Amino acid sequence: SIVLHIMAVSAVHLESDAFLVCMNHALSTEKEEVMGLCIGEVWMSCVYEVDTNRIVHIHSVIILRRSDKRKDRVEISPEQLSAASTEAEISFEHRLADMTGRPMRVVGWYHSHPHITVWPSHVDVRTQAMYQMMDQGFVGLIFSCFIEDKNTKTGRVLYTCFQSVQAQKGSEYERIEIPIHVVPHEAIGKVCLESAVELPRILCQEEQDTYRRIHSLTHLDPITKIHNGSVFTKNLCSQMSAISGPLLQWLEDRLELNKHSIIKLQKEKERLTQELASL
Amino acid sequence: MEVKDDVVFKGEHLLPQQRVCLFMGRLMYSACAKDCGLGAYASIMAASISGYTFSSVCYHSANSSSDHEGFLLGEVRQEETLSISDSHIGSSEFLNVIEVHNHEPCAQLFSFYDYAGNVNEENLNRILKDRRKNVIGWYRFRRNTQQQMSFREQVIHKQLTHILGIPDLVFLLFSFISTANSSTHALEYVLFRPNKNRYNQRISLSIPNLGNTSQQEYKVSSVPNTSKNYASVIKEHGTEFFDKDGVMKDIRTIFQVYSALQERVQAVCCEVDQSERVREKIQEEVNKLKEEIALRKRNSAEEERRLQEAAAVTLPDNPALPDSSHSSLTQVMLSGPSVEPSLERPVNSSSPPIYSTTLLPDSPSAILLPRPQAVGSPGHPSPSLGLGNGDGSSSDSLNRQATGQEDQEEDDDEDSSEYENLVSEQLQLPSLTETVTLGRPATLWPDGDAHSPPGS
Repeated sequence: SIVLHIMAVSAVHLESDAFLVCMNHALSTEKEEVMGLCIGEVWMSCVYEVDTNRIVHIHSVIILRRSDKRKDRVEISPEQLSAASTEAEISFEHRLADMTGRPMRVVGWYHSHPHITVWPSHVDVRTQAMYQMMDQGFVGLIFSCFIEDKNTKTGRVLYTCFQSVQAQKGSEYERIEIPIHVVPHEAIGKVCLESAVELPRILCQEEQDTYRRIHSLTHLDPITKIHNGSVFTKNLCSQMSAISGPLLQWLEDRLELNKHSIIKLQKEKERLTQELASL
Repeated sequence: MEVKDDVVFKGEHLLPQQRVCLFMGRLMYSACAKDCGLGAYASIMAASISGYTFSSVCYHSANSSSDHEGFLLGEVRQEETLSISDSHIGSSEFLNVIEVHNHEPCAQLFSFYDYAGNVNEENLNRILKDRRKNVIGWYRFRRNTQQQMSFREQVIHKQLTHILGIPDLVFLLFSFISTANSSTHALEYVLFRPNKNRYNQRISLSIPNLGNTSQQEYKVSSVPNTSKNYASVIKEHGTEFFDKDGVMKDIRTIFQVYSALQERVQAVCCEVDQSERVREKIQEEVNKLKEEIALRKRNSAEEERRLQEAAAVTLPDNPALPDSSHSSLTQVMLSGPSVEPSLERPVNSSSPPIYSTTLLPDSPSAILLPRPQAVGSPGHPSPSLGLGNGDGSSSDSLNRQATGQEDQEEDDDEDSSEYENLVSEQLQLPSLTETVTLGRPATLWPDGDAHSPPGS
C-alpha cells in the first residue's frame, strides 16, 4: 500500500478552457453518454525528497467517436484507446510543441452521465483499471448532467475524478477519489477551440458512416431508400440546429467579447505605460 | 369542476367578445382557484438555455476567484392556448417561453451597483451597450451558498426591473459546492422569477440538446411486398428522388448545407483564436506593467523609509526607531505563503520550473487563488509543498481566511454576507514575486515517462 500511495495521482488540474470543452460535449446530448480523451502532462513534485506527488495537468481534450453507441456503455477497448492516443499525441505534439515547448500526451479520459449519478459504474471502474494497466497515472473524469430536482426546480451538473484500485489481487476493483481543480485560464487555447468545433464534424461523420452501411443494402425498395435518406437529412438537420447553430452563436459572442476586451486592455496598457513613465 | 379539453384555441383567433367572456371567465376561475386550489388559470413556464451559453457561464465563473455575475440575453414569448368545454366557459393556459440565447459577463463585481445595492444606470448602459434591449434577466455564480437570493440581490433585482423596464426579469442563480477532498463538485442552478408571487418563483431550466442521436430510425429492410403494382409505381415515381448515381439528391443537398455551415464555423473559430491570442498578449503586457509599477512604488517607498530612518537616528531626541523597513518587508513576505503559489510555465522546458508566488491586483487569472470551499474542505489547489497526503487528498490550506470574508458596510443584511463571496482582500496587496520559502523550495519537473519517474 505504500507503493500505491507513491504512485497515486494526488490531484488533477483541469484548465478552465479544457473544462469548457468537456461541458460543451457533455451537454450536447442527454440521450447518450459521450466520451473523450484528456490531453496534458503529469508533474512530479518531490518535497524533502520523500513525498512524491503526481499532479495531472489537463490542457485540452479530444472528442472521441463512439464505437459502441449503446446508451449505457462508453468504453473503448484499451487497444482502441492506445490507437486514439497515439494519433492524438502525434497531431497534438506537432501543434502544442510550438506553443508551450513541452510535449503533451493523453493523460486521462472523460465521459458523461446524462440523467444518472456522477459516480462511475462497475463497468467504468473496470475500464479505468484497464487503462491504468497501460498508464498508472491515467485518470478518469465523469460529468453528470441533465439532472433536475423537480421539487425545487434545481438543475445540477456534477463532475468527479477517479482512479481504480484493487484491494488485493483478484478482488473487485474499487474507485478512489482524486481531487480535481479547475484552474483559471483566461484565454481559450487554440487546441481547445479546435476540439470544440470538431463535434459537429464527428457527429456528421458518424451519421454518414451509418447511412453508408444502410445504403449498401441493395435489397431495399425505393420507398425504404427514400425513408432512409430522409432520416439522414433529418438527423443532419438536428445536428445543425442543436449543435452547429448554438456553437456558431457562442463563437460570435466570444469574438465580440474579445474585441471589447482588447480595446479596454489597450486603454489600460496606455494608462499604465504613462504611469510607469511618470515614476 | 372538470374542464374538458374538447376544443383548443389559440387566443388570436377569437373574436373580441369571446375574449372578454374568456377573460371574465378566467378572472372568475382565478378567484375560485385561490380558494379551492384548482388551476383553472394555469400559467406554464418553460425556460431554456443553450449548452454553449451554460458552459460559457461555467467557464467565466471558473476563471473568477470571487462570485461572478452577468446578464442574460434572449427572448421571452408568450403563447396563449384556450380550451372551451361544453359549458362554453373556457380556461386559458398561458405558456411563457423564456429563451436564453447568450450571456454578457461582467468583468468584475460591483460594476453596475454599489455595496448598498444601488444600481448605476450609466454603468449599466456601458456594460450592456446596444444589447440592453435583449436583456431578459441576470445571473450570479456563488460558491458554497444557499439556493436563495440574497438581500442585496433582491434589491438589485428590483432596481434592474425598474430601470430596464422588464416586469418579469428573471434571475439565474448558480451555486457551486465541493466535497471535502475536492474530488467531486456540483454546480446547482435555479431560475427565479422574483417579481412574481410566491407560487411561481422558480422555473425549470432546460438545456436543449441533440437528444437521441441513435440511428435506430434507419430501416434495414423493406416491408415484404409482392405487389407488382406497388413495385412499379414506386420505382417509376421514386426515381425523382435519386440522381444518376443512385444517391438521393436530398443527401447531397443537405450535406452541402452542413459543409458550408462547418466551413463557416471553422472560419469564425479562426477569428476567435486570433482574438484570443491578441487578448492574451495584451493582458500579459498589462500584467507586466502593473508588476513593474508596483515594484517601483515599493522600491521608492523603501527608499523613503530608509531616508526617514537615517534622519531619525541622527536626531538625539528621538529614541531608536524599530526597524520598520524590515517589518514591512516581512509583512509582505509573510502574506506571500498564505496565497496559493502559481505555476510558472517556462517557455523552454529544459529547466524545471520553480514555484513562485505572484500577487497581481487585478488579474486573478494569473494565479491560482484559493477559493472558498465547503466547510472542512481544503483550499485549492495545493500542490506538494510537503502538505500533500499520499492518498490523493490535500490537507487543509491556510487560505480560507483569504477568501469570501465580508467586511463591507455594516448595515448590510446578514444574508448577503452568508451568500456572497466578494473579491479577496489579497488582491489589494502590492504585487510581489518571490519563491515560496516554506522549508525547502519545491521543485517540479515534467514527467516524460509515466512509468519511470526521474531519479528513481
